[in-house]
Amino acid sequence: MSDYVVAGRSLDFWVFTLLMIGSVCSGMSLLGVSGLGYKFAWPTIWEQLAVPLSIAFCIIFFGVKMHTVAKKSGYMTVQDYLAHRFESQTALRGMSASAGIIVSMIYLAGQYTAISIVLMWLWGLPHWMALLIGAAIVTFYTVIGGLYAVAWTTLVQGLMLIIGVLIMAPLVIMAAGGFTHINEVMAAVNPTNVDPWVTGAGAVFTPEYIFSFALLLTIGLACAPHVINNILSVKNVNTFKWAPLVAFGIYAVVMFLLKFTGFAGIVLVNDGIIQLPKVANAQDFIFVYGVQAAMPNIFMWGIFAVIVLAAVMSTTDRLMLTIGTYFSWDIYKKILKPGAPDKEVLLVSQISVFVAALVTLLLAITPPDMLVWLIWAGIGIMFATFAVPMLSGLYWRRATREGALVSMALGLITSLVFGGISYFKLVKLPMHFSFYAFVIAVVAMIVVSLMTKQTNEKVLAETMTGWYIRK
Amino acid sequence: MFGLPTITTVLVGGAFLLIIIALLYWGLTFKEIPS
Repeated sequence: MSDYVVAGRSLDFWVFTLLMIGSVCSGMSLLGVSGLGYKFAWPTIWEQLAVPLSIAFCIIFFGVKMHTVAKKSGYMTVQDYLAHRFESQTALRGMSASAGIIVSMIYLAGQYTAISIVLMWLWGLPHWMALLIGAAIVTFYTVIGGLYAVAWTTLVQGLMLIIGVLIMAPLVIMAAGGFTHINEVMAAVNPTNVDPWVTGAGAVFTPEYIFSFALLLTIGLACAPHVINNILSVKNVNTFKWAPLVAFGIYAVVMFLLKFTGFAGIVLVNDGIIQLPKVANAQDFIFVYGVQAAMPNIFMWGIFAVIVLAAVMSTTDRLMLTIGTYFSWDIYKKILKPGAPDKEVLLVSQISVFVAALVTLLLAITPPDMLVWLIWAGIGIMFATFAVPMLSGLYWRRATREGALVSMALGLITSLVFGGISYFKLVKLPMHFSFYAFVIAVVAMIVVSLMTKQTNEKVLAETMTGWYIRK
Repeated sequence: MFGLPTITTVLVGGAFLLIIIALLYWGLTFKEIPS
């Protein structure tokens, strides 16, 4: 079981670093990031710093301490940590695993949409058939191999993605006349296109929105189940010495190139070189159409399609495995049937991966207007639900079980409420909806913890709780 | 520079450099455990 879930805690520096990049870099990163750049231009550039930073944040603020505790206590998932630290084997474990499953499924729907965009573009397939083919491939090897398969395919996929973006993106940027020319055309189309933010009526990327958006991406993505669980599969804590810098450096280059490709798309469309399809999520096709314009060679399109699919799948399979593990280990083994043998738990995990794939396919049949909104909604819910119990659990000795339960429940519920308000445009929220839910979760944690009895000293010592990263 | 307003270049470039310096500091001060 431990081989299947945490790859026998055997991952070394490069496999881990690329696994982290591959988990964070999804179909959204390739298609959604350039789509966002095409639609909102330079004011969205902060995403290029916040997303790579989330890997470093995850390693430094969660990883170092949690890895040490996990190795001693034999944790398989982050829920094991939460259950131990907050002395709640059922309520907190069940709630956090359920929230993790819901979020992973929302996130998965976005990834499937990305698979479909590529297959629709490459083979002219209808949306539903493209979805079905992508889901079949990913489900097959996740079910067969667990994290060993995911870790090793992610390594290959991560490398392909990095090399692919390093080659393809500059070609698209050059086809649009180069970086400086692109910025000049963008400024001519609309002067605010080259500003670091926008203000005024109807503006989306205002300074306050960017603040909440950067916080959401940096911390929210860092506590995403499919990202944070990678920490537990590292062989040696020394891996965490340079992994933050290396992962940030590599991924920042990839992210900037992806965004610049979206900017190049503004020029290519403005000059009439490409015409986007007439679909609701047209901007998400900008990268694939950009590549088509820059390289009029069907062989190169095929290579590009494989690279995009690799990025999509490296996150998708990780998410599916997360769902399988959370259900089989945290809900089935730890709550529903504690005496279940490993073989049975493994079977439940494989069945839940199948079920998750099916349900997610149904969710992905109607794609969202913009890929990134869906993905950010998923990350936003994680941010509001997990960030406060995780950070206060690791660093604040006064944080209690009741505080964690109330904070997590309120974070989850209020993020869904504010998400609904934002989605249905009931009120115009100046910041990302998850920020309000996060603040409520922080207040709930502080107030309820101070009103309840402190966790016993033995548990605090075992979980290395305190205001330090390492002793 | 690069067809961009100075404020955009300075803010984005500055934030990037700041992060690199912080992560470099983390790596340099990280005490390895002998294996």
